[in-house]
Amino acid sequence: MLTSDRLSYERALGFDEAVDAQCRPRPHYAALFEEMARLSAAELASRERLRDAIFQRLGITFAVYGDAGGLERTWPMDLVPRIIPAGEWAIVERGLAQRVKALNLFLDDLYTGEAAALRDGIVPRRLVLSSEGFVRAAVGIRVPHGARCLVAGIDLVRDADGTYRVLEDNLRVPSGISYVLENRAALTRVMPALSALHRIRPVHHYAASLLASLQSIAPRAVGSNPRVVVLTPGIFNSAYFEHAFLARQLGAELVEGRDLLVENHTVYARTTQGLERVDVIYRRVDDAFIDPAVFRPDSMLGVPGLMGALRAGNVGLANSLGCGVADDKAIYPYVPALIRYYLGEDAILPNVDTYLLWEDDQREAALARLDQLVIKPVAASGGYGIVIGPQATDEQLEICRKEIECDPRAWIAQELVQLSSHPTFVDGRLEPRHIDLRPFVLAGERITVIPGGLTRVALRRGSFVVNSSQGGGSKDTWVLAGPEGG
Amino acid sequence: MLSRHAEDLFWAGRYLERAEDTARLLDVTYHGLLEGGGSDAPMALQEVLDALHLSSAFRSRHRKVTAAAVEQFLVLDESHSSSIVAAISRARENGRNVREHLSTELWEALNTTYLDLRAEGRAEELAAHPHEFYRRVRSRCQLVAGAASETMARRDAWRFLLLGRLVERAEMTCRLLRVRAPRANGDDAHDDIHYWLVMLNAVSALESYARRFGAEITPARVLEFLVLAPDFPRSVLFCLRGIETQLGGLEGGVAAPALRRALSRIRAELEYQDVAELLDRGAVAALERTRRGIAEISERIESCYFANGPIPERHVYEAV
Repeated sequence: MLTSDRLSYERALGFDEAVDAQCRPRPHYAALFEEMARLSAAELASRERLRDAIFQRLGITFAVYGDAGGLERTWPMDLVPRIIPAGEWAIVERGLAQRVKALNLFLDDLYTGEAAALRDGIVPRRLVLSSEGFVRAAVGIRVPHGARCLVAGIDLVRDADGTYRVLEDNLRVPSGISYVLENRAALTRVMPALSALHRIRPVHHYAASLLASLQSIAPRAVGSNPRVVVLTPGIFNSAYFEHAFLARQLGAELVEGRDLLVENHTVYARTTQGLERVDVIYRRVDDAFIDPAVFRPDSMLGVPGLMGALRAGNVGLANSLGCGVADDKAIYPYVPALIRYYLGEDAILPNVDTYLLWEDDQREAALARLDQLVIKPVAASGGYGIVIGPQATDEQLEICRKEIECDPRAWIAQELVQLSSHPTFVDGRLEPRHIDLRPFVLAGERITVIPGGLTRVALRRGSFVVNSSQGGGSKDTWVLAGPEGG
Repeated sequence: MLSRHAEDLFWAGRYLERAEDTARLLDVTYHGLLEGGGSDAPMALQEVLDALHLSSAFRSRHRKVTAAAVEQFLVLDESHSSSIVAAISRARENGRNVREHLSTELWEALNTTYLDLRAEGRAEELAAHPHEFYRRVRSRCQLVAGAASETMARRDAWRFLLLGRLVERAEMTCRLLRVRAPRANGDDAHDDIHYWLVMLNAVSALESYARRFGAEITPARVLEFLVLAPDFPRSVLFCLRGIETQLGGLEGGVAAPALRRALSRIRAELEYQDVAELLDRGAVAALERTRRGIAEISERIESCYFANGPIPERHVYEAV
């Protein structure tokens, strides 16, 4: 147990980011603990008020569907940042770039190549063809630089040994980057002395990198200054704040489907000066809603005729259609093999051990110990539908077992990872809370990894559920510059 | 910029101005009643409702015109878009829709204004210290306007926001005067000086008026000042000229001919207006004509810039 006059901290089971097994601060957290110990309870409370006031004033909020309490909630950020030493991050960064590169090669192979990975038996063909994320209409549509997944959010966890593992890939419309930037801005203001004690790698160049990536997929004929727009489902979407944030930072218009129209396979925006051509769409609308003429006819969110414009090569779309096949949880177990297949390298970041429930022997083995595993629906995201074996009732497990037997393709089972924990302020005291990390990776002419990412926190003691839609919090995430401890 | 965004900004401007003008009007009415002895309360309150064109909406919710009921209706009632709280909410909602066009300082000012008016205890404050409440609304709205003016590039987003404010303000000034105008050349006009004073106060014009005409207040001069003063930012003529300037500054050049004609016509009519003549011919009719003209301008702005219909070929941007 770590104690000082004002500060005590007792670590939980598993790996703790800030203290070692004897509860001594890890070297890169030493300055943080010293600084925190100097804060009186009153000072801490006043800083928490300042933080809340900043987020409120800026209107940094997110919506929770089906929440009667109001349309918007203020963003929850803990005052204790997460710190990642430079050496540790260097490995993570290489692992992320490697993974996204391989996933994009896989996607390009499926949609515009000869599907070599299927032919050579790396991934079972039927898994790809039965994936909800596989979009047949996208076959044949080319994307410059093969940047099909232009913005990826790769969820990482650290297991009991402290090894970073990939928990899942988010290749469709990953969100959270705006909170990375706003957390940094807010924490710097609320804890200036703490920030000044560290050399932190900046994150504010994200918008410039994103714009460069987006412009790199513009139709070639457009020239040097393509017009980029951000396509949002609208103000009622839970990530609307982020859509507006990104549009503002990119200097792009934030459009809804009704603001765009397609004529002669060309996309135009309706403006006060008439129709203006759109060259690249950064869309935050799901595949199924993007073009009501091809997909869901009842969708009001998309742009009729967009598919035609894509086929004609008159507009760039990021992320491109059909990325969901590669972040299907049933494809996830094959990603290390895909890395080896396309890059001839071993995966730098390992997966979490996963049972393929569509293989008879693995299904039997998993069903025998469901109460120790995590069961996930392959097509859902945001933490919805997940059953955590050790915390589930017998009845829940029984329902789960029946569903798996009925449709094994729809589920995966994973070993329960004892997520790492991190000191977090709870009612004025430091307590361990479990965390994960969502770094953001940009593809385009080259691959760019933003230092750090969004650290999400399970605010209930012992809980592993970090999703903000389910009451999770967040932390500013610092990647230190230069040699460790420097 | 996107038509939808231009429309949201225009209406954000109108709602902001509406909130501020309503607060001004209620503030001076309330204090005018106190100073005037309070016997005319129902009539003064009825005039406020008439000026805002809200009499029938009010009657569908309240039976009697009392100070408390009118206050509740014009300040806190969110079931219609013209109460102060509803107008601020809508301005903020519109701002959220076009968040990427607003400077962070402008958005902060708008958002904190919204949060501030919905903070706990505002209803009690309104009941106990109405002047403080109205002053708060006024200064909050000015903070928003100031943030816009000092932090927004002079591009279309700023221009549409300002257009909304100017249109709303011009129309509001016309409405205020139109309600008061029947008394302008009646026998008891001079007993009513008190009300004309309130009127000047409502638009922060008393000091400017006094510098121009001295302390004596006559209906004709108040009318002249609030309609025709070329240099007072809340006069009708000043607003119209502002509208013309902003339309001319929009990217893509001059406004559509029909809009430009409507605007020039009504501005020219005012510029060549003689006040004595205006009073002779009937101030009510003249003000009503001007008000209709402004409403027409607003409609033409909407059809010209916000309509999502087919758009002429020549506007299509070509790839280079």
